[in-house]
Amino acid sequence: MATKKKRTPNSQNDSWVVIAADSVINTQKHNSDPDFVRLRNPSTGEASLYMFGSGDVQLYEVKAFEEDFHSWFVGQTVQRDGKLLFVTPMDPLYLILPYMIHSSREGKFQPVNQVVKDEDFPESSRLLRCSCSLSALHNIADEKEVGSQKFHRYSQERTLNWLKKKVEKTVVALKKKNFCVGEGVKSTTYVRVKTESDNQDEDYLRYAHGLISEYISEELSKVLLKHLGLTELKSPNETEPPSKKRKLSDKPVEAGEDYTKFNSADFARKPPKKMTTAQKTLAKVDKTGMKPMSSFFSPKTKAEKK
Amino acid sequence: MSCNASVTRLHLSSLRGAEKAPVHLMPCEIEHNGLAQVSQYFTATIKEHKTEKTVSFRGRGLKGQEISCPQGYTGLVLKEVDRHGSDQQDRTVKVSSVFDKLTYWNLETPPTSDDTVVMAMDWPELAEAIHGTVED
Repeated sequence: MATKKKRTPNSQNDSWVVIAADSVINTQKHNSDPDFVRLRNPSTGEASLYMFGSGDVQLYEVKAFEEDFHSWFVGQTVQRDGKLLFVTPMDPLYLILPYMIHSSREGKFQPVNQVVKDEDFPESSRLLRCSCSLSALHNIADEKEVGSQKFHRYSQERTLNWLKKKVEKTVVALKKKNFCVGEGVKSTTYVRVKTESDNQDEDYLRYAHGLISEYISEELSKVLLKHLGLTELKSPNETEPPSKKRKLSDKPVEAGEDYTKFNSADFARKPPKKMTTAQKTLAKVDKTGMKPMSSFFSPKTKAEKK
Repeated sequence: MSCNASVTRLHLSSLRGAEKAPVHLMPCEIEHNGLAQVSQYFTATIKEHKTEKTVSFRGRGLKGQEISCPQGYTGLVLKEVDRHGSDQQDRTVKVSSVFDKLTYWNLETPPTSDDTVVMAMDWPELAEAIHGTVED
């Protein structure tokens, strides 16, 4: 027992602890069951795990909250995998956007069902069945109606305005929650304490931009930053390491991002260097969604994280 | 056919039969999946002082706290249902237990509102801001 035991892979895991929006299990309206599906992650372009609620009315994001060396007791059983999955409602427009942008290369107005087509991710077409998808397309595209049919063409202007509102809304939520997003946070024990700094508003804006950037391409993230009147931060070394910022640091498996600082897209996709002191305190809300589903349902390897 | 075509269906009919289970998040990895005498050897030895709970597990002192699921959210334990021969692509999970609060345990340190799992419970509210519809 004294020597460090090599951990055996957790291959028999067939159980997951989930915190899901009530609407997932609300079966009043629909008879069909929700589906976990893999769709193209709008930020990474890779497969991510999402969920369609019954009747495909609502899209959900699946995010894993995970800390090293945790396990569950559920009733009279042990579950080795200490992950906690969150299933939260997601705006399908984020997932439709990359297809819209891609199709804009032709510069034509097109029917949206021809735009959102993906051989690699056949379930993508279900995005258009979500209740708010079609009615919200004007946020990212110009619309043209010919007869009874609608045609769309990507509009960066509309998209940036839409994203800006998203960022602003996120700022409000961050402030309400008193999330500490600035540089004043030195100790992990005081993350909720507000710091009075001159550029606190900018800190919030950058943080919110970072959160939104997880749902858009790197390229668009940079344009959005400019649209918000912010400049790219040059180096993450000039500021304190991400691990000290906040404990609920949101860390996708592939795109280890620190929202507070590394919003400069160059850094946004680099995993943080080491999790030394952070190990104990830093929560890793990694995105299960960013891994292929196969790995979601099998042991998570270290290699994926680092 | 792409492997991304397969879906995993959540059988909601299983919800009715799912029992409410006490759920504990342990600060260590336990290399086991399956039955254990949790209530006999763990739950029975928990001591409570106000909201803080203490327990000894494998000779280590744990300090814990009970937290509720965020409003509008339900805790579910999903379990994969055995795949049948006819079903090669898609998989099925059922709800094996439900919970509306969980107890998390720290190694030695007293629970605070800055504990990671407590912070994680803020995610749904943040997600609502990121994903809610915006005014035109």
